Amino acid sequence: MVYRGQKLTESWRIALLALVFASFLVYLAMSLHRVQVVNGADLSRDLVRQSVRRVQVPGARGRIFDRNGICLADNRPSYCIAYYVEELRKSGKWQNTIDAVDVDIDRLAKVLGLPREISKEKVANHVKRSLPMPLLAWRDVSDQVVARWAEEVGAFPGVDIFVQPERYYPYKGTAAHMIGYVGRDRPKSLPGYKAHFYLPEMIGRLGIEKQYDNMLTGVSGGRLIQVDARGYKHAVWEGTPAVEGDDLHLTIDLNIQLVLEKALQGKKGAGVVIDPRNGEVLAMVSAPGFDLNDFVPAPSWIVWNKLNKDKDRPLINRALQGRYAPGSIFKPVTAMAALMSNKIKPDEIINCDGVFNLGTMKLHCWNTYGHGDIVLRKAIEQSCNVFFCELGQRTGYDAIRAVAADVGLGVKTGIDLPYENSGLLPSDAWKRKWKHEPWRTYDTCLIAIGQGLLLVTPLQMAMTASVFANGGTLYRPHLISRRGPGDLVRRMEWPADAVNLVRDGMHDVASIGTGRRVAIRGIEVAAKTGTAEYKVNGLNKKNTWVTAFAPFDKPTVAIAILVENGISGGYTVAPLVHDVLVEIFGEPPPEDDEAVPSFVMEGGIGD
Amino acid sequence: MIELKQILAKLRKLNIVMFACMIGLCIMGVMFIYSACSVRENHDLQLQYMKHAVIAIVGLMAYMILACLNYKKLIKWSWVFYLACLVLLVMVPFFGTSVMGARRRIFDIQPAEFAKLAMIMVLAWLYGRHSNLNGFLMFCITGAIVGLPCILILSQPDLGTALVMVPTTFAMMFAGKIAPRYIWSTFLVGIIVAGTILGVICAVEKRDLTKDEKVERIIAITHLKKHQVERLQVFMYPDKDLHGSGYTRRQAEIAVGSGGVHGKGYLKGELYALGYLPPSVSANDFIFAVLAEESGFTGSVMVLLLFSGLLAAGLWTAFRCQFNSGRFFCVGVVTLIFSHMFINIAMTIGLMPITGLPLPFISYGGTFMLTMLLALGLVQSVSIYGREPSTSFD
Repeated sequence: MVYRGQKLTESWRIALLALVFASFLVYLAMSLHRVQVVNGADLSRDLVRQSVRRVQVPGARGRIFDRNGICLADNRPSYCIAYYVEELRKSGKWQNTIDAVDVDIDRLAKVLGLPREISKEKVANHVKRSLPMPLLAWRDVSDQVVARWAEEVGAFPGVDIFVQPERYYPYKGTAAHMIGYVGRDRPKSLPGYKAHFYLPEMIGRLGIEKQYDNMLTGVSGGRLIQVDARGYKHAVWEGTPAVEGDDLHLTIDLNIQLVLEKALQGKKGAGVVIDPRNGEVLAMVSAPGFDLNDFVPAPSWIVWNKLNKDKDRPLINRALQGRYAPGSIFKPVTAMAALMSNKIKPDEIINCDGVFNLGTMKLHCWNTYGHGDIVLRKAIEQSCNVFFCELGQRTGYDAIRAVAADVGLGVKTGIDLPYENSGLLPSDAWKRKWKHEPWRTYDTCLIAIGQGLLLVTPLQMAMTASVFANGGTLYRPHLISRRGPGDLVRRMEWPADAVNLVRDGMHDVASIGTGRRVAIRGIEVAAKTGTAEYKVNGLNKKNTWVTAFAPFDKPTVAIAILVENGISGGYTVAPLVHDVLVEIFGEPPPEDDEAVPSFVMEGGIGD
Repeated sequence: MIELKQILAKLRKLNIVMFACMIGLCIMGVMFIYSACSVRENHDLQLQYMKHAVIAIVGLMAYMILACLNYKKLIKWSWVFYLACLVLLVMVPFFGTSVMGARRRIFDIQPAEFAKLAMIMVLAWLYGRHSNLNGFLMFCITGAIVGLPCILILSQPDLGTALVMVPTTFAMMFAGKIAPRYIWSTFLVGIIVAGTILGVICAVEKRDLTKDEKVERIIAITHLKKHQVERLQVFMYPDKDLHGSGYTRRQAEIAVGSGGVHGKGYLKGELYALGYLPPSVSANDFIFAVLAEESGFTGSVMVLLLFSGLLAAGLWTAFRCQFNSGRFFCVGVVTLIFSHMFINIAMTIGLMPITGLPLPFISYGGTFMLTMLLALGLVQSVSIYGREPSTSFD
């Protein structure tokens, strides 16, 4: 073709261009295939990584009930006033948004009539770190505040009520040490699930709440928040739902617990009630106590200071953390050891003249004039120190120690509560190591009457009482009802006549002996009183004890109560045990005006 | 009546494949601009798709008119158009409005876009008229015609627009039989310059310097602008600064990739909706990321096929044209569209450094859309009149 004498450009040039374009297009298609098809899944994951935040949501915490189904630890809704920052977002610098939220909080504070709870720094921190989460401006507000907020809701678009579960203890200080309390903490992350944010979770800090935290907690779920490029919440997806925690049913009987608490009110001491048939704990008290609700969600400064600086140390669970000399309530163990090693016969008479001489040392009986000629059963009833010192000397420490160890002294009982103390059952080796002295007969005699180096917890003494109650079986005390036979620790091969002799002695204590104030009408009770002396800053003080079990023939409860700085076991503690027994068994009205001795005194050693 | 009949007769010669592909691309454009701007908070910005559609319809009318006019008559006056563009380009630095640090607009249009068409027209006219003149002189004239507006465009600054003129000019020179040695030598010089710049960046990157120090060093050697250096750095080391200069490239790659094979569905894209893909670019330069995320590999291939159809039809028109000016013009327009498309998609998926180049017919941008429609209207005119040597004599 010719146009104005010029040749038309060759067509192959156009074809070549087409070829070049085609090859570039193929390259583009291949690259797109690589990005979208081959790497598509990886890039989708990258998208999730940058735009999805995982929130760990705890399941509702399980509740705690007593053995009759009365709730001891519950959850209540706690209303918080929350800011949803994405509603108040301002463009430009983050500071603009922080300022906007801050100003709005001031405005709302005026409307609600509440002082501000969070500072501007906290607002800034929230915006920087947990932007897609609600910002809790006021926590746990009253119903009136919620009502006032509801009237003004229209003027505050970024504000909403945020409900979070809060632990609640309906009986306040009841069984406080045992139930324990929860705190708020950053929860453990689920295995293989790393969350960006955690909703506050309750974590057991003490007692049952701590011991069975895993069961109560349940399994946390996950929620997914899609955030935009600036980190604001865009959408929320429900992920895996949380699983509720298990409810716990305790062996505690709230009625007994309340009576025991009332009995120990205003005193320092502890009390434990055990079912000797299986080791179930029916009640456990440590006095003084504290209100569990003060610890939710966290104890205030004032409360915490007060509890920690209190000389009486209310936070200590004396029932299983307090170490005390048992005093005379240990004597049944000594008696058992002597009988088993045949060092005394049931009808063998020992004379008590008020003083036991051991070389140059003298041990006094609480009855300064002496008990005269007495047998073992009477010695238990009268709690004669001279008799038991003689018995200890005859029996020897090894035999006494063996029986004491059998009934569970010197080791933890294994109760399902944290921070238990094992007490102290000393030995020759222990004394050499810590006191740098060898074991002497004097030590044996002291321990024979429950003094000296021996230290026990009230729980251990309750277990000892239950061993004598059930004739020689030691169970592991527990708070969670298992329904079925108890958790057996060991069954002692105690000769029946020996056990019965000691039990008879304890029976006499409650009926005619030092522990007469324990007795209730209509039921036979066995008991042993004790008064252990100790010195604080040069002052003589007495820890007063009673252990008891009832009914005598087929015991269903074993009790140990300790009162610090009392007068004597029989005088101070026995009436308390009486009250508890009345609650458990009931007491028929008196048939006649039977006079109760107004004052029964029982003393310790070394008067 | 006779005139109408004549017009209809002419329209019957319209290249229907090219027309269909173009309409297809325009529809996709309106659809995905709607996607991208639906998440904007500003009401005016939400209506971008409407503006795009209106421009498409106006442009389509101009397209039809141009298709019916004889391109040879128009192309003779191309130098007037060219000079007008030049005047506007000169005025831009003084009277233009500034958007994000670049002064590109005047009287609400971007003269640079019209200038592209003007350059192609002038070159086509020139090569067609003096096809015997293919030595050094023509090479220099070409250089001047293209160089002058390009320098003005570069100073706006608008590297992308200047950049697409390079392959377009090369293709036209190749078609126009300009002595290959000049083409090769220019090409070589370009390669050397580009290689040197990349080499410098590579060398500086290995030094133990902070980010800003590196950029300063490179600017000192290459005299490029700061954002240009950063874009080249991102291109060479895409994973270095994912939260800074490499952010947009990374987000575009995630958008395209997360679309997968079938896409997330129309209006279900996340990257632009959540603002990870900056909203200022999602409707124009990075519209392909929106499209690819929502329609997946299927949609991407569809776009490529539509472009292929368009380009093939354009080259077919050139092939069928019996006149050099028509041929050159078609080659120029096809190469321009191809370059735009290739550079845009390639930069979206990280094959090329980021340059602000729109995707023809799909990206939001009035002047460019109009220019493209006018250019294709003229190509249709070539299709109609290029086959009739008898009627074209004047």
